[in-house]
Amino acid sequence: MTVLSKAQPGRLARNAAYTAALAALLGTAAACSSSGTPAAQASANAQQTIVFATHGLGAEGQATNAAIAGFEKQYPNIKVQVFNLDASSTNQLTQLEQRFQAGTGLDVVDGDVTWAPQFAAAGYIKNLSSAGFDTSQYFPGQVASAQYNGTLYGVPWYINAEGVYYRTDLVKTAPTSATELVSDAQAAMKSDSALKEGFAWEGDKYEGAVCAFIDFLGGFGGKLDLSNLNTAANQQALQFMYDTIHKDAVTPQAASSWQESNVQSAWESGQTAFALNWPYEYASTLKLASLKSDIGWIPFPSTAGTPAAALGGDDLMVASKSAHQAADVEFVKYLTSVAAEQQRAQTAGDPPGDKSAYNDTLYAAAPYFKAEQAVFADTVSRPSSPVYPQISEVLQTMISSVLAGQSGPSAALSSAQSQIQQIPGYTA
Amino acid sequence: MATVDEVRGGAPAPDPRPRKKSAKPRRGTLLGQDRRLGYGLTAPAIVLLLGITAYPLVYNIWNSFHYAVPDIPFINGKLAGLANFRRMFSVGSTFMPALLHTVVFTVVSVVIEVAIGLVLALALNKSFRGRGLVRAAVFIPWAVPTVVSAEVWKEMFDPQQGFVDYALRLLHLPGGTTTWLANTDTSWVALFIADAWKNTPFVAIILIGGLQVIPAEIYEAARIDGASPWRQFRRLTLPLLKPALMVALIFRTLSAFLVFDVIYIMSNGGPGTSTETLAYLDFNAFHVDNDYGYGGAISLVLIVLCLLIAGAYTRIFRERA
Amino acid sequence: MSTLTITQDGRSAQFTVPRRRSVRPASVGRTVLLSLFVLVSLFPFYWIVITSFKTNADLARGTHSLLPTSWSWSAYKADFSQYDYWHNVLNSAIVAVSTTAITIVVASAAGYALARTRMRGRPIMLGFILVAGFFPVMAMVGPLFLTFTHVNAIDSFWTLILSYLVYTLPIAIWFLANFFSQIPVEIEEAAVVDGLTRFRALFRVIVPVAMPGVLTAAILSFILAWNDFTFALSFMQTPSKYTAPLAINNLGHSQFQVFPNMIDAAVVVVTIPIALLVLMAQRRIVSGFTSGSTK
Repeated sequence: MTVLSKAQPGRLARNAAYTAALAALLGTAAACSSSGTPAAQASANAQQTIVFATHGLGAEGQATNAAIAGFEKQYPNIKVQVFNLDASSTNQLTQLEQRFQAGTGLDVVDGDVTWAPQFAAAGYIKNLSSAGFDTSQYFPGQVASAQYNGTLYGVPWYINAEGVYYRTDLVKTAPTSATELVSDAQAAMKSDSALKEGFAWEGDKYEGAVCAFIDFLGGFGGKLDLSNLNTAANQQALQFMYDTIHKDAVTPQAASSWQESNVQSAWESGQTAFALNWPYEYASTLKLASLKSDIGWIPFPSTAGTPAAALGGDDLMVASKSAHQAADVEFVKYLTSVAAEQQRAQTAGDPPGDKSAYNDTLYAAAPYFKAEQAVFADTVSRPSSPVYPQISEVLQTMISSVLAGQSGPSAALSSAQSQIQQIPGYTA
Repeated sequence: MATVDEVRGGAPAPDPRPRKKSAKPRRGTLLGQDRRLGYGLTAPAIVLLLGITAYPLVYNIWNSFHYAVPDIPFINGKLAGLANFRRMFSVGSTFMPALLHTVVFTVVSVVIEVAIGLVLALALNKSFRGRGLVRAAVFIPWAVPTVVSAEVWKEMFDPQQGFVDYALRLLHLPGGTTTWLANTDTSWVALFIADAWKNTPFVAIILIGGLQVIPAEIYEAARIDGASPWRQFRRLTLPLLKPALMVALIFRTLSAFLVFDVIYIMSNGGPGTSTETLAYLDFNAFHVDNDYGYGGAISLVLIVLCLLIAGAYTRIFRERA
Repeated sequence: MSTLTITQDGRSAQFTVPRRRSVRPASVGRTVLLSLFVLVSLFPFYWIVITSFKTNADLARGTHSLLPTSWSWSAYKADFSQYDYWHNVLNSAIVAVSTTAITIVVASAAGYALARTRMRGRPIMLGFILVAGFFPVMAMVGPLFLTFTHVNAIDSFWTLILSYLVYTLPIAIWFLANFFSQIPVEIEEAAVVDGLTRFRALFRVIVPVAMPGVLTAAILSFILAWNDFTFALSFMQTPSKYTAPLAINNLGHSQFQVFPNMIDAAVVVVTIPIALLVLMAQRRIVSGFTSGSTK
């Protein structure tokens, strides 16, 4: 420190070009401006541009662009600019949090069903309870996940539920238990040499593995009760995941680093008899030219009461610092209208979040949505908490370490429970 | 305008020993001007280095004793005491396993890299035709981004499209069907190879530098005395190479201890948590969990451990030198 | 043992015995060893180059042929058209060149002051710079991220440049202080007699004379900045501002598939400048470390 206090920018240095450069440099870093107060609100009729943070390439991207074109036609004064988020949901969350913390740039946000409580608790998103959305229109599980302290913060856009796809040429009748599923898968692998595996599911250390875990929990009557994780049923579900890979050999070892996309390519290339995946796969499979057989889609079979299908899907949220909230709400209303949701369902295969969209118009264009109802009926939400991302991280670690054979189900479950208690801000 | 005397007044070499003659600055004298020039010229570097390290460091220390979770406002900013540090040692925490992984990674990779790097340096120090080209060829892996080395070896170890399994099968060697990165043991093999491929040349470069300053006359004298090459290596090369070896060791140990990118790209800490290192946990706490308190605590532990390692090396260096 | 001197530099030529030029075990061993090193170093590059010229169809067939099966630019085209990869390479260049330039100017000044002035506290400053050189910046990624977020500088190239300076400055200052101290004082005296201020003499006379050292410091700074992944991963949020290494980590992965040919094409593009640099400056890099590591 003595060095600093004695150092004086002498005459020489002051004239030098590099001092100017340095000043400019520090000036940039020192241009300390806090995000400030919310901007004055523009009316819905004003000329304005709103930024819509969303994700999805290909068919989903096209569906989004089509919806935006429709909206801009109806509201010529509002332009919608798309901010494309990363393909991975973990990165999406990081990108959104960083933007929210900076406080600027986003108006309408498309986010995973589990994010609304966290964003609401942090004050990033607007309370939508008085914005004119009728919560009775949506699936109850999804509404619950879009609320924080009983108040609506997100509007269900499309719903997702995870279930088991199977090929009817290899599996004549749908299995009714986890054991049966495994033996069916083994039999299919024996009968068809083109199969590389019997049952494909996603085991990578990411959110998807938590969804898969929820599906399997239903099969054994387990529950994701964070204050009582280490139960016999939960252990069985974890053991099942380990066994499919290491004992029954119906799932390849690589599946412990698989995500949905890997499951999709295994399924669509005809390498597997069963595959765990979301509704988009239904539309995608039916479009395949190489489709050799009919397919079925069921909730993961349960021998203990009701099966569970992990609830997914996306909610639309409005940034609390947006200066265009009136226009934002109009845009959300447009996207969640029955017509727009049906359009998206047909082009991108995303199941509408609005129950009344499931009508003959939809079934006429995409009949498989009728078949999907069975899975939607069994949806189970992931824990709703403002610290869900941290909870999920612990659960992912737990699943991943069991799949890698690092720890047994019981030890992993009790470790996870104790780690969840350590999360700052966690309350049971 | 400066004068010759003023230039002469300058210090001849960067001699770290304090010199007694620089007593008091006489105001307005040449010495005073000389000193002012010195301060002015050093100031930008010191200000930059202090600014970029000191402020974040202090901020980080503050965070590590608080709950610093901006996403959770009702607890954000509250005093946490030692909670963030206790969390590292709580039941089921991945901190201690990660510390173990980090130490093992550091020791194994540094030993591999220094051993092979020494052989490489000795082979490349002799002059032969095309030495420049051979050196350049061997140095390139060091100079490429870690993303490149990690992606390249990730592909080489891919069970379907990669080269490693294919070569093993071709040669009828065992392991030709290994999914290298899906197994808790083999993923380390892949990581060690990728890391050694990139960093061994660095060790070699430093050691070649060390070999070049050893005067050839010493060897001639030893040869006249009839010393065998092995004896020459043990008695002359190795002791004289010690300073360079030390530099290579310090640099490699510290950067191996902070290993992150190669792991993030190749194994992402998996399978399970088997390749998670401290820097990986730190990144996760900051960027996945947005928990700047816990992340800050891990950072602090990392910084302290690194300074201890650097301190230990400098001590050994001083004692031996 | 006199035969060993054949391999020594020209100065020991008088000891060489021409008739013993036949192949000897030691040299055979070294040749084999070095060939092995060159093979291991370069083969992975060869593998990615041939993969980068494969089409998606070639990859789907899963050929392992060691000879290129096709020469298609499709992966390169996809990188540049779909991902705007040029932009990322340009970003890397901007960041690396800026880091290098700032490093050289600031480190020359500080190196000169440490080598040639009698300012007080010099040991403290040398010590501070040494400690800064060993400071685990990698452990500071998170704290730096927070700091930059606080001053609203996140997602800007300055965050990267400033962070890289923590690596490059200490090394460069040590190198340059060494080089400057070896330059005869007379050269500077002559410049001062000619009417230059000492400050001008530094950049007009000293730095040009110390060019080999300056170049080495510049090359090392450039490589450090060009290669970083972790800081870019932490600080950069807008894809159009990603540096090349960060872009490589993202491109070629669609939601459904990984395209190694696209990743490899991007890898080839980012590697070429570095490979050329090493090829041209290999001697300089070694000599830089020689003076850097032994002083």
